[in-house]
Amino acid sequence: MKRFLATPFAGPLIALVVVATAVALTTNRFLEAGNLSNLVLQVSIIAIVAIGSSFVIFTGGIDLSPGSMIALLTMVFALTVKMGGLPLSAGVVVVLLLGTALGLVNGILTAYLRIPSFITTLAALSAFRGIAFMFNNGSPIFSVSPHLERLFYGKLLRVPLPLFYVVVLYAAAFWFLRNTAPGRAIYAVGGSANAARLSGINVRRVQLLAFLLAGLTAAIGAVLMAARLNSGSPNYGVGMELSAIAAAVIGGASLSGGRGNIVNTVLGALTIVIVQNGLNLNAVPTSAQNVVVGAIIVLAVGIDMWRAEIGQALSFLSNNKGESPARSTT
Amino acid sequence: MASLPVALWELEEVTKRFGGVVANDRVSLRLFGGQIHGLLGENGSGKSTLIKTLCGAHQPDSGRILRGGQPVVLPDPIAARRAGIATVFQEFSLVPTLSVAENVYLGRLPLRRGHQVDWGRMREDARRVLATMAVTIDPGAVVGSLSVANQQLVEIAKALAADATMIVLDEPTAALGIEEIARLHALLRRLRDQGRAILYISHRLDEVVDLVDVVTILKNGRVSSPAEQSRIELSYIVQSMVGDVGEHYPKEHHATGEVLFRAQGLGTANRIRDVSFDVRRGEVFGLGGVLGSGRTEVARALFGMDRLDAGSMELRGMPFRPLGPPEAIRAGVALVPENRKADGLFFNFTGFPNISVASLSKLGPYLTIRLKTERQAGRGLVKDLDITPTAEERLVGTLSGGNQQKIVVARWLFADAELFVLDEPTQGIDIGAKIAVYRLLNRLTAAGKGVILISADHDELLAMSDRIGIMSHGRLVGIHLPRELNVTSLVRASTGAVPEKEVVA
Repeated sequence: MKRFLATPFAGPLIALVVVATAVALTTNRFLEAGNLSNLVLQVSIIAIVAIGSSFVIFTGGIDLSPGSMIALLTMVFALTVKMGGLPLSAGVVVVLLLGTALGLVNGILTAYLRIPSFITTLAALSAFRGIAFMFNNGSPIFSVSPHLERLFYGKLLRVPLPLFYVVVLYAAAFWFLRNTAPGRAIYAVGGSANAARLSGINVRRVQLLAFLLAGLTAAIGAVLMAARLNSGSPNYGVGMELSAIAAAVIGGASLSGGRGNIVNTVLGALTIVIVQNGLNLNAVPTSAQNVVVGAIIVLAVGIDMWRAEIGQALSFLSNNKGESPARSTT
Repeated sequence: MASLPVALWELEEVTKRFGGVVANDRVSLRLFGGQIHGLLGENGSGKSTLIKTLCGAHQPDSGRILRGGQPVVLPDPIAARRAGIATVFQEFSLVPTLSVAENVYLGRLPLRRGHQVDWGRMREDARRVLATMAVTIDPGAVVGSLSVANQQLVEIAKALAADATMIVLDEPTAALGIEEIARLHALLRRLRDQGRAILYISHRLDEVVDLVDVVTILKNGRVSSPAEQSRIELSYIVQSMVGDVGEHYPKEHHATGEVLFRAQGLGTANRIRDVSFDVRRGEVFGLGGVLGSGRTEVARALFGMDRLDAGSMELRGMPFRPLGPPEAIRAGVALVPENRKADGLFFNFTGFPNISVASLSKLGPYLTIRLKTERQAGRGLVKDLDITPTAEERLVGTLSGGNQQKIVVARWLFADAELFVLDEPTQGIDIGAKIAVYRLLNRLTAAGKGVILISADHDELLAMSDRIGIMSHGRLVGIHLPRELNVTSLVRASTGAVPEKEVVA
């Protein structure tokens, strides 16, 4: 037990179990097979977008743009495939490239033109959705392609594809952060940009890379969003950035950078989706749900800020000598 | 001089501990109106702690503060200000976007009809205060647009406007030029003659000798020479500050004749000029000089952080002109920065990632990292440098200062650096850890590395260097053997005077 508590996964996992139990106690429908498989589909897009958001947060930045980027990219996707007549695969490639390019814009503004990421991506949040509304007179585009829905609802070896995407992408992200030099540099830059610079790390390039990857994961999210509803719409992805940031933060990522484990982000995404699901099942109106999500984010960031105090209280309770509860996971 | 029988302010047997460290040990200080009192001591001798106690930022663990013979408690800096103690720290407490007058009356703007700011009166009052100081600063000027020297005068005006009877100045001349220092001194003498008490802290001993009426000298948290006893004389002061030199420096000599690094006429936009020296393999080349003399700027140039606009460098006989830290690192230069906490360590990492971070390419092909390789290298260096084995699991923030410093050095050993630039490597660490760092210097030189040691600790510099270059006002003004110098001549040289060559027995 003690050994489990010392792993970096303990906190987020406990939070997840507590939330799931609480929801299961309030409604019988939570544990129905239909609801659970629906949960998997729901969490997949948020979880994938949250990979990129986590990368940016690990470097000490923040990305507020993926929700709007998704709206823009689903529109571009629908247009190129339905109106432009491109094959589906080519459309996917266009979206992934464009998403990466938009991430590049965020990254250049932040890392090279030194505008704080909060501002650049807040501007992008506004601008990307604005551009999305410029296509097709601001109307959604339905019935993009008869084959598109298979990308989301299909199965491989009886495993729903979204689950498959999540596992593969998280495995890749985990390996990247743990076993590559750029991955290590992301944590180094978030830990201390000055020390990183003096250790020969190109700090700006690392920040740029994080935004680039955030653009890529948002683009993957956009493809899945379009596939799920076989459409593109400038209204997709509203609030997605908040869910993705919440996933990272509930997963224990520090908003001051340098600390966090990508595997915990998926636990955080599950937690926030289960909360939303529980509120839905209990017929809580959307307005109140938004308030709850806001409160959860504040609480999660608070736990990060009060880490030292909480750690002291915990070590006092368990009377465990010496061992610090917070540990680097790299 | 009008010494009153009862001191205006008095610290009586003040003791202050931080954890196990005794920062002030029964320190007594008597401050009289009409007197400039110098407070001297090396880094870490307890001056800052004492000032902070006097200005209400710290509470003494034992001992008393007396005002006119009556005990008082100063629970916070506001109370101290109200009681008439004004402190001018190195970091000014001014709002750069507001006017001089607004800053002078910040927090107690003169009001009209209870709630409206009386701008006219405020400007008039500010003008009057500045006039008593005989300085010409426009009360309407924005503080951020003033020179550092003038900002400091505004800070003093603020103290005078608050009717401070005692003014504490902490290193007031660190950022000033010679004429500005002279002006400041004239002002302080005028304030003294008005009957105020002045406590003056400075590293520049020569100017202290000119200015003060009495001095109290601290050493290792205790008063080593009280005001009644101190002679205001450079050699006496240095002796009292330093005590016996040389017992805890395990210096080994490994210098060879082979030149590793050579700088010729270096100049940068960052104020350094005409800096020429060389470093041999196995040698510790010390760089001395007061704060702001350009020592750190030389390190920056070597590490590619400031562009050269004059001169050239050679490393292993090859031209060396790094455009940034990555190139300097690849060429084999290591920088152990002055501010270990902000610029050296990654507090989100345990020991090993801190060691490997400057040469991740050594951990695997194609940008990959093999954690096993990292672990083996880390364990080897931890063993070699006698770092605590718990560094493997613990975040570096939980390690001692000495272990932290060794981890930064281990980083550069892992990066195969040959020229080590150590900027204040023993600042803020205890004596045991200092000795560990000195042993580390010996290990580096024994392995044929070249070391540039930058230090404001003159004893350390004299004891651990093979040769010493003295920086003054951005220039390297002389290179000496340590035995040609002593602390006094080193201080004199670095403050601009010519070092007299004298042999220390």
